[in-house]
Amino acid sequence: MRILIVEDEPKVASFIRRALEEERYAVDVCSDGIQGRDLASEVAYDLIILDLMLPGLPGIDVLKELRSGKVKTPILILTARSEVDQRVKGLDAGADDYLTKPFAIEELLARARALLRRASGETLGILQVDDLILNPVTHDVTRGGQRIDLTSKEYALLEYMMRNAGRVLTRTMISEHVWNLDFDTFTNVIDVYIRYLRNKIDRGRTHGLIHTVRGSGYTLKATDA
Amino acid sequence: MRNASIRVRLTIWYGGGLALIMIIFAGALYLVMSRALENQIDRSLDEAAVAAARSLEEHRFGPFLLLDDLAQAFPELALIDKFFQIFAPQGQVTLQSANIKTRDIPLSQTALESALQGRATFETVRFHDEIPIRLLSYPIRHGETLVNILRVGTSLSPMEEMLSRLVFFLLIGSPLAVAVSVLGGWFLASRALKPVDSITLAAQRITAEDLTQRIHTTAPDEIGRLASTLNDMIARLETSIRQIRQFSADASHELRTPLTITKGETELALRKPRSPDVYREVLESNLEEIDRMSRIVEELLFLSRADLGQVKVASLPVQLDTLVQEVQMQAMMLGKDRAVETILEHVEPLQVVGDEWRLRELILNLVDNAVKYSSRQGTVALSLTKTHDTAELAVKDDGIGIAPEEQPFIFDRFYRTDAARSHVQHGTGLGLSICKWIAESHHGTIEVTSTFGEGSCFTVSLPLLSPA
Repeated sequence: MRILIVEDEPKVASFIRRALEEERYAVDVCSDGIQGRDLASEVAYDLIILDLMLPGLPGIDVLKELRSGKVKTPILILTARSEVDQRVKGLDAGADDYLTKPFAIEELLARARALLRRASGETLGILQVDDLILNPVTHDVTRGGQRIDLTSKEYALLEYMMRNAGRVLTRTMISEHVWNLDFDTFTNVIDVYIRYLRNKIDRGRTHGLIHTVRGSGYTLKATDA
Repeated sequence: MRNASIRVRLTIWYGGGLALIMIIFAGALYLVMSRALENQIDRSLDEAAVAAARSLEEHRFGPFLLLDDLAQAFPELALIDKFFQIFAPQGQVTLQSANIKTRDIPLSQTALESALQGRATFETVRFHDEIPIRLLSYPIRHGETLVNILRVGTSLSPMEEMLSRLVFFLLIGSPLAVAVSVLGGWFLASRALKPVDSITLAAQRITAEDLTQRIHTTAPDEIGRLASTLNDMIARLETSIRQIRQFSADASHELRTPLTITKGETELALRKPRSPDVYREVLESNLEEIDRMSRIVEELLFLSRADLGQVKVASLPVQLDTLVQEVQMQAMMLGKDRAVETILEHVEPLQVVGDEWRLRELILNLVDNAVKYSSRQGTVALSLTKTHDTAELAVKDDGIGIAPEEQPFIFDRFYRTDAARSHVQHGTGLGLSICKWIAESHHGTIEVTSTFGEGSCFTVSLPLLSPA
């Protein structure tokens, strides 16, 4: 899952980024309203965390322009103002949720999870395909009751595939949602990570869950479905 | 009365005043009327007596003269409302007119004595339950001897009747007039005070929460002036409350950012065990933020004390050139990291009156800003020159500059330009406000000229110490 942080205070942006990366999200940061708007319109982020006080273009205008440009990505606004009208304006302009600074980091993470859950249409908070279960809160992954240890990139890739179970995912889609801007798309890193995942999830099982779609990409689904 | 409304008090005063005037007027009217009527009666008695006396003289005081003949000779004497009596000098009645009533009224002693001395006497005789009678005793003399005493009398009943009618009219009319005017007064007072009530209602609607409301003024009269004065006052209140709100909103925003950072970084560090280096990094960063918060709090306290007039500013001669040189030395240290050089251009020896400590703060703040916003290996130039009777201190940098649309606001509290936000992390947004306050508390000014992207020049003008 890939998240964009638009926040001009570098230290705030930095600790949010580190917290999100610890939760295995791919994170991009930008410090300016215009740049934030452009990035959010070009890249298919899964979540945007947007400060309302921004140089270049105020957060509220970024929101409006994104929504009028048909960007449906969930947006969580950060506001330093406790005034109700700021939050109301933000929500009315198309924000999905808000947090008032200073906030608890756990709350920010929980809200991020909730927004991602809502966007993928899942309600339980736990992702399950066949006997493969992923818990986004604890990051535990089990198959048939057996614990599977994953690196954070493997986990991020699996979470993305499980949230989009049954859909064919191209390499571009995977790279956009699992890696951040620093990722070099001309390598075969995706294929390598898919192989790692297969080794940990499907090896030695009677039916595999990760399938290659020739010429397109990959998909994760139960075989008999 | 003290608690009564103005309307009631006005009406009471009005009604009371009018009642008093009515009482005095009625009394005076009664007195004047009764006096005038009495005079009129006396005059007609006198005229009748004189005419009768002349007639008696013409008839040679014939003792057997009939009064009816007299009446025939002088028809004006034959008025029914008068009667005649003729007394002998000793006081017995010798002749009297037919219309005299049964009651016998003897000649009084005073009248007799006056008649003997040749003087006429007016008297009013009043018997119980009867109409009073006005009498004129008129001596008729032949040479020095009193021949007869002629008495003319008339009933006072028409006069009494007239006066009692007047009293009746006054007793009924005056309270009626007072009552009508009290009603009128009440109505007028209500009308006059109606705008006051509407002002009261409007003022009740206006609270600290909603100062946007205004009293609607209509007429350019006293009430209208009061309303517009109140409106002006409310407008001033609105402005200052808005400023206070803005100030506290800005202050809380400025404090919230370092709080967010310290809270967020600390919580993140505590999520799981970290290496000592990570903890060290977090603590160092937090310390930076704590310093920033203390600086904000200190500067806020300074400005709010300055607003309340609680900041003392000394008035002593200050050698500005020395200050500028001292600050330049400090600035060299400040700019070391980024190789920013601070140089002295033209510095004249000038003296001003003021607070050395505050003036140093002013110059240092400006130079510190200039160093911060200078480009790497840039130059900050200080100059101090005399212009007319002011000392002009200029701090010039070749840094990022200030966009023209932002220049009017840079001395506002907490205002930071977009460029400043992304360029320097540790500003409080209050430095230039403090500079402005210091310059103004020294009767000086502070101005900025700047070209975006090329640099800025801050100029402080302070009145020179006039040679004693």
